[in-house]
Amino acid sequence: MSSTIELDDDSPVHPGEHHDHGLSDRRYFNIFFALVAITALEISTYWWDDVFNADTKKIAVPTLIILMVVKFFMVALYFMHLKFDSPMLKRIFYSGMVLAIAVYAIALSAMNFWTDSGVNQFNDPPPAVTPTTLVATGG
Amino acid sequence: MAETLDLAHEDVMDVEFPDDIHYSSTGISNEKLGMWVFLASDCLLFGGLISTYLLYRNRPGSIPGLAGSPVKLSSLFDIPFTSMTSFILLMSSLTMVLAVNSIIRGDMPRTRLWLVSTAGLGALFLGGQVYEFTAFVKEGLGFTSNVSSSAFFTLTGFHGVHVAGGVIMLLALAAISARRKVQAEVVEVVGLYWHFVDIVWVLIFTIVYLIP
Repeated sequence: MSSTIELDDDSPVHPGEHHDHGLSDRRYFNIFFALVAITALEISTYWWDDVFNADTKKIAVPTLIILMVVKFFMVALYFMHLKFDSPMLKRIFYSGMVLAIAVYAIALSAMNFWTDSGVNQFNDPPPAVTPTTLVATGG
Repeated sequence: MAETLDLAHEDVMDVEFPDDIHYSSTGISNEKLGMWVFLASDCLLFGGLISTYLLYRNRPGSIPGLAGSPVKLSSLFDIPFTSMTSFILLMSSLTMVLAVNSIIRGDMPRTRLWLVSTAGLGALFLGGQVYEFTAFVKEGLGFTSNVSSSAFFTLTGFHGVHVAGGVIMLLALAAISARRKVQAEVVEVVGLYWHFVDIVWVLIFTIVYLIP
């Protein structure tokens, strides 16, 4: 029995690999210009306080986080071809990313990052032990 | 049983592959799979460094047992300058995908041009980072000045080392491609690394420099 798997000479494709790099140079330029526009919007938030003559922190921070996530996925999906490549590669990369986010979200929570009052210590000090707390905790 | 094994062996040996293509059971080359696994693990490295920076970012001044320069890191940031270096790194991602597209088309001279352009833009970004670090040190904020500066220099320094590694890989690839044919997938795998470096900068630029 003889079987031959035919491969194109120039193809980087391995047998059985789903490999569809469908984007042309022009499309890549379009994605790049979109990324540049998003970056410009991000940078503009630095001057929002002066331009609007108000504290824009509550709007600027969520805006920056959303734009950052959009940029992240645009580069990963299109420039890194994650959108067109094998689903296995997506699973590997997303697993690492989700693991990192979960581990460090837990670590930051353990160190009182979200409730930080800005004291100049590693993290906020524990609540003071008073006779009331001793009774409440049975200590 | 022995006959069955012989037949299976014969089947495998009859499959013909070009010399430079290696079969893998996942359908993905080992090099590419290895790079993706490395990038997934690198998420954890940079996650740790970013988290450490977030914990220490607003803690200049004295902490018992540690150095405590009162200089606040964010007061030294030059946002227009860092924005320019961010654009440079973003542009290098474009030249990288153009290099990958060129080699898929079999256009070696253009591939080399885009690879060298990407390396050049990466080197420019590194130059910007060195300039920024020098300016900070001149203002009195070194690596050991306070915990905030240590976290900052470690995070951005590690990213810089990744960029430097990418520049070396790109230049080596351009040099090799001048001597012999390079597989398109090799350029793609180096490109994956380069885009990851860009992605990490997208996070660092927003979290470290832009979020007040």
